[in-house]
Amino acid sequence: MALKDNKFYKMWFKDAWPYLTGAVLLSLFQIVTLASTGNPWGVSGVLANWGAWLYQLVGGNVDKWYYFASEGAQKTLDAGILKHPGTYRNVGIIFGAFFASLMASQFKIKKLKSTKQIFAAILGGLLMGYGARIGFGCNIGALFSGIASFSVSGWVYAIFLFLGAWAGSKLLVKYFM
Amino acid sequence: MAEYELDCLGEACPLPLVKAEKKLKEMEVGDVVIVLIDHSCAMKNVPEWARKEGHNVEIEEVDDGEWECVIEKCK
Repeated sequence: MALKDNKFYKMWFKDAWPYLTGAVLLSLFQIVTLASTGNPWGVSGVLANWGAWLYQLVGGNVDKWYYFASEGAQKTLDAGILKHPGTYRNVGIIFGAFFASLMASQFKIKKLKSTKQIFAAILGGLLMGYGARIGFGCNIGALFSGIASFSVSGWVYAIFLFLGAWAGSKLLVKYFM
Repeated sequence: MAEYELDCLGEACPLPLVKAEKKLKEMEVGDVVIVLIDHSCAMKNVPEWARKEGHNVEIEEVDDGEWECVIEKCK
């Protein structure tokens, strides 16, 4: 029997898992993260630290920046990228997604359809990054961990997430159809 | 009994869905459209939407990460 016809291969690797399974697993891993590191799960703060480490690598200095000026932030940066648990979580996300697509035989390097896609992706990424730092988190740290921590800002985020998705879909239809 | 092809390769959700929706609106009953998709999210929501609308749907994985979704307009 070919592997791709195996019932369990299909169930575990080929087909997407149900949303409920995903929600339960996310919640469990969130609890494990909070219990083991003392901090709720976050993604974009780690990316900001990565950026700072990169900048320092090429001779830059971020010590005077308001965002990195606190004692805690200084301690984190001084400890280095490999000492930060968030580094391993974020790298794990990348490798986990890669592994999943390989196991499902669905890995593909997509062609760029137009230069518009490049500009849209860059602009979207910049807005996401800026917004995530202004709001101290993205859909993980600000929404998911925020609501789990009984933060009202998580619900505010949720409202604007839906407004943003609605506006974004209008823009998508206008510029990419 | 016309047959159309919709190239949505390289496009992310929700574009393949919106394009398929638009195309089906223009089609006659009995016509067929083949939607080419390489986004796994679209691979799920395009056939789902088409079935909900009452059309005949078949989806086939033609290559790693590439699908052809065949939709026959029924009403």
